[in-house]
Amino acid sequence: MLELEGLTRHFGDVVALDGLSFTVPTGQVFGFLGPNGAGKTTAMRAVFDLVALDSGVVRWKGVPVTSKGRRHFGYMPEERGLYPGMVIVEQIQYLAQLHGVAAGDARTAAMQWLEKLGVADRATSKLEALSLGNQQRVQLAAALVHQPELLVLDEPLSGLDPVGVDAISAVLVEEAAAGRGVLFSSHQIDLVEDLCQSVAIIDHGRLVAAGTVEELTTSGKRRLVVKVDGDFAGAWARQLPGVTISRVEGGAVRLVLDEDTDPQAVLAAAMTAGPVEQFGFERQRLSEVFREALV
Amino acid sequence: MRYVLYGVVVALLALRLWRHRRARALAADAPEPGGAVRPGRLGATLDKLGGDIGLVARREVRERVRGRTFRVGTAVILLAVAAAVTIPVLRKGGESHQRVGIVGTLSGPLRASIVATGPALGTKITLVSEASLATATRALTAGRLDVVLVGTHRIVVDQSLDPTDTSTTALLARTISASVSLQAGLEHAGIPPANALRLANPPPLPVQSLKPPRHDQTARTTAVYGLILTYVLLTQFGTWLLMGVVEEKSSRVIEVLLSTLRAAQLLAGKVIGIGAVALLQAALIVAVALGLGAAEGSTLIHGTSSLEIVSSLLWVVLGYAFYCWVFAAGGSLADRQEQVQSLAFPLQLPILFGYIVSFTALGSGQPSELVKVLAYVPPTAPFAMPVLVGLGDVSWWQFALSVVLMLVATVAVARLASVVYRRAILRTGGRVHLRQLFARAA
Repeated sequence: MLELEGLTRHFGDVVALDGLSFTVPTGQVFGFLGPNGAGKTTAMRAVFDLVALDSGVVRWKGVPVTSKGRRHFGYMPEERGLYPGMVIVEQIQYLAQLHGVAAGDARTAAMQWLEKLGVADRATSKLEALSLGNQQRVQLAAALVHQPELLVLDEPLSGLDPVGVDAISAVLVEEAAAGRGVLFSSHQIDLVEDLCQSVAIIDHGRLVAAGTVEELTTSGKRRLVVKVDGDFAGAWARQLPGVTISRVEGGAVRLVLDEDTDPQAVLAAAMTAGPVEQFGFERQRLSEVFREALV
Repeated sequence: MRYVLYGVVVALLALRLWRHRRARALAADAPEPGGAVRPGRLGATLDKLGGDIGLVARREVRERVRGRTFRVGTAVILLAVAAAVTIPVLRKGGESHQRVGIVGTLSGPLRASIVATGPALGTKITLVSEASLATATRALTAGRLDVVLVGTHRIVVDQSLDPTDTSTTALLARTISASVSLQAGLEHAGIPPANALRLANPPPLPVQSLKPPRHDQTARTTAVYGLILTYVLLTQFGTWLLMGVVEEKSSRVIEVLLSTLRAAQLLAGKVIGIGAVALLQAALIVAVALGLGAAEGSTLIHGTSSLEIVSSLLWVVLGYAFYCWVFAAGGSLADRQEQVQSLAFPLQLPILFGYIVSFTALGSGQPSELVKVLAYVPPTAPFAMPVLVGLGDVSWWQFALSVVLMLVATVAVARLASVVYRRAILRTGGRVHLRQLFARAA
């Protein structure tokens, strides 16, 4: 279990982290969400002591993280970085060795990960010869090669095509299933909704929501999806009391109901507007949780 | 010229062999997963250094030695060294044989007296009889003759002789001019030729000195080569270090590295690794210079005491130990590769200054007051102190004092540089200025 407690960091007048606290359990994929500039990267760098904290502590298994303990973590920084002119398999091996893996094992592990991520055929190329998507796969191999107990990945899915997203997502799920801690950040909320079991949402360096995706998406106000034939813009719902239109999609309106709004009244209003083709409750989208949390 | 050509051929062959072996090593290395990487001998030694620093150092050595810059650079330097050692030998070989054309007849004793001047001038003299002045002049122009003696009344040379010209030909022309004139005069005055020969070529008086020579030419020459070596290695490897640090920072691999390494470990590994490559290159250069020199009997190397060579190498090492930190810290201030030049230049200025001042002093043969002071100032001591040694102008305790000052300064610079490096290496978004680093600390 990774615990971030009271992390605070100022850069001049800018508050990057403002007493940020949350816990990342092992054995599940944990999403770290927030708008750009919310402090996600600073928090992740703090785990690796790459940013000096004004106050706060990072614990792993209940103990403050030391430089020795960090050798069992894997890190993929937001700004990807490996040696552009170095042979790929050699640099993955080198990074494994820096994490304490013996030379021979490091080589084997490097080849295995390159294989698994589909870039084994480029193992003896220089990194700079690869496309950006493939470089990202190599970067992930670099974070995983030493079998870390905890993976910290900063925006691992950004800039990838759907095939790449699937490949990397599969690896994250697998690692979590093997009992490791997987913390990854993203600002593409819809992409991570299916991937993670729990999330923490931060803004302005502070935690605004945290919990399992299940809890977060089933709590809060009720949502109705209604489709009335002939009224694709959902004009019928605009004047209803106690109802807010959250979005209109393919002729169906997504409505957020206040506590005391009666769904039957909404149905009646829809029927007067025209034939009702669709009517049903739906759980919140994670992006809605996110937007509401940031308000 | 022959030897230079041999040198070029040998260097190119070595380069080919190196590339071939490397290609084979890579091919053998690549396909099988689980095949352990074959570390180079230097790499294996660094492995024993232990831990992360050894790993970092080993990577530096492997990547640098493989790089084209190193291989081509080393080949060029070795060729230059080979040429510097060989060419003077060849030129000396040319000059060591002087051909004197004789127009008209010359008495036996006169001929003997001309040939006898050879050893004193460090040359061998051959007399060539020429049929006429015209053929002699043609031979002179074509370079087949060095000096032409016309009867006993005129000497002809190709190029007008400057009074300060100390070439063998000039010395020979002057000697013959005086001795032949005197001897011919004596013979003309009726003194028997054998006596005239003795009178015109009296045995020189021995010269006794109260003190040993102030400095000998060989030590000075060693110092010249030491200076050049120090200059080339410091600027080259300093710049490499700077570029290596900039590469890690600008490619952002630094974050991955520092997520498991401490900044001080990374820095130490880089400094040691690149230093090992520098030392390897320096040793190679010195070995080639000494080897070639011994084989060809070059006076550049011959007679150099091992003390002078050790002193030169010591100052190369001390100079690197001092400057490596400066360059590494300089590199951490950059943000992009393009800033390498603008960062390297100011750091190279003290090196350039020390080099030029010291070289001038060596050329004049007299150490200036400035050099005597600079020999104790750490940034310039790697240049100035070997010059004092070469000019025989320093005692052992002065030398030791300079070394101690250098070591103290190196420790101080290393500490300061580590602080700068640690604070600057993770700062991105523009060049870092020292003011920013220390303002935050305050």
